[in-house]
Amino acid sequence: MTEPRKESRNPFSAARGLLSGMRTTARTMTRPAHTQQYPDERPSLPPRSRGVIALREENCTSCMLCARECPDWCIYIDSHKETIPAGPEGGRDRQRNVLDRFAIDFSLCMYCGICIEVCPFDALFWSPQFEYAEVDIRDLLHEKDRLGEWMATVPPPPALDERSADPAEVAAANRPARTAREPRAAREPGTVREPRAPRPPAAPEADG
Amino acid sequence: MGQTCTVTSDTRRRALDVGVGAGGLATADMILNIGPQHPATHGVLRLRIVLDGERIVSADPVIGYMHRGAEKLFEVRDYRQIIVLANRHDWLSAFGNELGVVLAVEHMLGMEIPERATWARTLLAELNRVLSHLMFLGSYPLELGAITPMFYAFREREELQAVLEEASGGRMHYMFNRVGGLKEDLPAGWLGRVREAVTEVRRRLPDIESMLVGNPILRARTEGVGRLSPELVHAYGVSGPIARASGVDVDLRRDAPYLAYAELYAQGGPGRVVTRISGDSLARLEVLLEQVHVSLDLAEACLDRLGSLPQGPVNQRLPKVLKVPEGETYVATENPLGFNGYFLVSRGEKTPWRLKLRSASFSNVQVLREILPGCLVADMVSVLGSMFFVVGDVDK
Repeated sequence: MTEPRKESRNPFSAARGLLSGMRTTARTMTRPAHTQQYPDERPSLPPRSRGVIALREENCTSCMLCARECPDWCIYIDSHKETIPAGPEGGRDRQRNVLDRFAIDFSLCMYCGICIEVCPFDALFWSPQFEYAEVDIRDLLHEKDRLGEWMATVPPPPALDERSADPAEVAAANRPARTAREPRAAREPGTVREPRAPRPPAAPEADG
Repeated sequence: MGQTCTVTSDTRRRALDVGVGAGGLATADMILNIGPQHPATHGVLRLRIVLDGERIVSADPVIGYMHRGAEKLFEVRDYRQIIVLANRHDWLSAFGNELGVVLAVEHMLGMEIPERATWARTLLAELNRVLSHLMFLGSYPLELGAITPMFYAFREREELQAVLEEASGGRMHYMFNRVGGLKEDLPAGWLGRVREAVTEVRRRLPDIESMLVGNPILRARTEGVGRLSPELVHAYGVSGPIARASGVDVDLRRDAPYLAYAELYAQGGPGRVVTRISGDSLARLEVLLEQVHVSLDLAEACLDRLGSLPQGPVNQRLPKVLKVPEGETYVATENPLGFNGYFLVSRGEKTPWRLKLRSASFSNVQVLREILPGCLVADMVSVLGSMFFVVGDVDK
């Protein structure tokens, strides 16, 4: 269904194509190479780069939110409860969770970062560290010691764009203080503020 | 075109006659399997081709080798987890895929997203489009035997991937969309770096263009090859750059605008729809090449706008458990490869009851059975490569 090609082509156009290709090659030859000599030259990765997930063990309360929210359930958590006996001045015994095992299977992980997003106690962080390749896929299951070592490589988050919304704390602090609600009549200038009268049972215009 | 079936049945009969020999030059048709593992198929697509000598009698795309059951998996994931899966079917346009899901959910919730988020999303979607197009602009000549464009394309891709990684943390699977906006705000100074990257890509684009446009070898391999008629485009639901190369002037960014496209594609705006009329492999390549320019224009318009918008958030506060009200909706977006639609049916749960995925490559690959017959085997690569599909998007 394709029509026959125009076989004979202008030999000059072919030569021109060849020449222009060689010209590009010659021009590029004078420019420095883009190649980074990787093991000697480290890549500079942005702080948000999703390399590996690091764990700050002290912050983990074994609440299991990350393990539950993970889309492919690659986080394994074991914990047990320990009783802290009441102090000498009384009170009662307290219980607390102790983390026994926290492991992430990086052969299953999809690097979505949902675990980090849902963690309510800031125990998980992204690190741009990427050099943890293994020969055997089973060795990609990393336990909490290894995840903890990566905490040292976690960079501080980048500053945000100047047009970004204020952080929640700043926005809350800048909000004008809430004024006490007053009966509508009292708001008119010149009127003396009176103590609020008890509201009638079925007021047609309930204010306040 | 319509006689493909009869040709196949004829083939069977003739294939049995081998050896009986009606004369000196009787030949039997040969069935050739291309793939599932083949460098020209971008993944695991299998083509069953019946050959008469060098000429293709019929071709059958056999799909499903990469089927992962994405639609079924969506049904047991909440809307944040769906984004993880959704950005993986077409791995070259992850941002566009995420976008469809969140737009559908926002539509069902009746949620308004902040203006800065709209423009940032538009910007990121266009950068993603450039990335996807550059990938094909590099790989298509590679399939035809030219290695150099690949390096040029990847150099530009690297430039853009660096800025996308800085904002989202990912180079392919961005995970940057959330229902109600974006995951987090843009880093300080990022807009400037995007502008630098866009300028740089624009400056060096002629390098790759000069190798493709007017290249006599490339022309000889692509001109008039794999001609796709507008009727076939409509019959098979082909969309995106391939449909536009056949003269079908349809682009959802202009025809059913979402995000900020209504403004960008308004009169006098930077948006324009690139079309060609010949419908051959060369036209498809040219559409892709010109769309890169359009997308860079759109990206710059978004940057200008983002630099002048007032201070504000990029996302909405969401409830801890996000439930979508009962109902159904269909949202289609113009992905780099064509229409990408999500049909979302919710029964008020935190997971969708059904999320049907209409992917661009699926329809675009089906039309191969119509345009391959008649081609030579050598043209098969040229046609296949110019259909610009991602097998993950075909098999879902």
